Amino acid sequence: MEPTREQDVTITISEPGWLSTFQDLGREDSEYLGVPCGGAADQLSAATANILVGNRRGAPLMEIMGGRFAFTASRDVFISVTGTPADVTVGGVPVAMWQPVCVPAKTCVIITNARDGMRNYLAFSGELDAPRFMGSAAPESRMGFPQQLAAGHKVGLDSRYHGFSQPYLGQPLFRLPVPVPDFSANLWTIDVVDGPETAGTPGIRELLSGSVYTVGPKSNHVGLRLNGPVIHPEGLGEIISHGVPIGAFEIPHGDELIILGRSRTLTAGYPIVAVAAKASLPLLGQARPGRKMTFRWLTNEAAVERWREQQRLLTALEDRVQSLFAAVGLPLHEAPGSSPPDVRAA
Amino acid sequence: MTTPPPPAATLHRPPGLEAEPFGDSALMLRIADNDAEARRAWARRLRDILLDVRPYGMLNLVAGAESLLVEFDCLCVSHYQLAQTIRLAVAGLGLGDTGPAAGAKDFIVPMVVSAEFSPDLPGVAEELGLSQDATLAALTSSVLTINLLAAAMAPMMAGVNFPGQVSRCTEPRTDVAPGSVMVAGTSAIIQPFPGPSGWKVIGRTPLTICDIHEDPPTSYQPGDRVRFEVIAESRWAELKGQFLRPAHQQEGGRHGTDA
Repeated sequence: MEPTREQDVTITISEPGWLSTFQDLGREDSEYLGVPCGGAADQLSAATANILVGNRRGAPLMEIMGGRFAFTASRDVFISVTGTPADVTVGGVPVAMWQPVCVPAKTCVIITNARDGMRNYLAFSGELDAPRFMGSAAPESRMGFPQQLAAGHKVGLDSRYHGFSQPYLGQPLFRLPVPVPDFSANLWTIDVVDGPETAGTPGIRELLSGSVYTVGPKSNHVGLRLNGPVIHPEGLGEIISHGVPIGAFEIPHGDELIILGRSRTLTAGYPIVAVAAKASLPLLGQARPGRKMTFRWLTNEAAVERWREQQRLLTALEDRVQSLFAAVGLPLHEAPGSSPPDVRAA
Repeated sequence: MTTPPPPAATLHRPPGLEAEPFGDSALMLRIADNDAEARRAWARRLRDILLDVRPYGMLNLVAGAESLLVEFDCLCVSHYQLAQTIRLAVAGLGLGDTGPAAGAKDFIVPMVVSAEFSPDLPGVAEELGLSQDATLAALTSSVLTINLLAAAMAPMMAGVNFPGQVSRCTEPRTDVAPGSVMVAGTSAIIQPFPGPSGWKVIGRTPLTICDIHEDPPTSYQPGDRVRFEVIAESRWAELKGQFLRPAHQQEGGRHGTDA
């Protein structure tokens, strides 16, 4: 099958869920101008959704946070849904998450009943016509760029997908080696490494690894606010405003623990007593109010190894998708090997 | 004009650049110097060097008041490799002098003080041991330098002539109104958009300081100078929503002082 030209598809959102937005992996080169990178809180699920439909990892997609989300497309579309477990149907027929799905034109797709975690990612083969700010479709609602999807919203899609079927079954079954995260545990364990004030806060290691923390209702994309025991370090003096990595654990003067998210700002001068391992950030991005978690200390070296393994599995999936799609004539929206080793992705 | 020192001389005296791991994928950089103004100027210069050199593995740069946070791809480089690359870049290019940035612009920011707009003014005055008027006079008599653009492009400025340090809020506010003029330590900041802040709110400007529909979204940048002027509340409606531009471009020049 020859790769065919792009065509315009219109996606009509009929039910927007509680909060759904355009999303991607975030802005580059914006932080030094005071604009947070933002982007999908669960980068692993977002990148995987794009990989599964042959897109580059950082392509615009949709992020759905709870409720019932439904759309129809004017032509056949090729989609994937990742993130926390949910019920996904195409024309009333249940389909698998974490695999590519063929959707016939004018057929309703419903994503509902999300459980355990907080976010679903919906990717479309092709390029969604999403507004950009500083080169990214990620919401920056604080600066007036909310990117929210509403009922009746019509979204353009440039796609080279023209339907796909195999001879024996209506809905083709893809069995791609997808590393699906497990969100089902009652108590999530988040890996952490030392922060700059860990040593200056005696007892914090035992406290974080030996206590259960509950995500509070005031949590958002700036940070998770956790209820649980804290220790206030003493004698650290004035902390000058400085940049903080995503996943920094801050203890403000009040009795709570804040884990900063991708829309964090400079620290307000609070001590950083731990930093989430990079490989644990996607799980943190799925934590909803009421979620219980505890922490496990790793060395930086062990944390890097966990991240290396997560990336290895993602790259292996990418390779399989590339060869499979090339073999059966499904569109790849990025030539293999054309991307820099991206790096921030997932 | 002085002759720059030969490269060898620069290389023999590398500046005291501290590099501290901040998690598995970030490095905090600070210049060791006893003078806070020098640390701030060097942080700005260091930012320019890193944006120019783009060390291998660097993903993202977050400017702090006296520091830089470099986020990197931990599969490309380690903390130690990246720190070494940065030290070599600094040694090779030099941090230069710490004088005012070339082409710095001047801004005058009008602000209204009222019970509604200045909820923390009484507490700040008490903490400093000043009257409220004297606290405002200390702010408006200061020429502040923008060190960096903080949250949502907020101009963070150092150099308020306070006699002491202003503490932050015990519990950060979750929603501070845009235009709010805030202080902490001996720095000031203006809130561009609604959002959280732990800084003390002592006034509000009617001007719009950041607008994503403008290109660029702010007319100020690090290195520019800012002075605050307290204006009468009666002038709020007239100035509300005007986009902040450099003093020489503002219509009618100065905004005038409180009568």
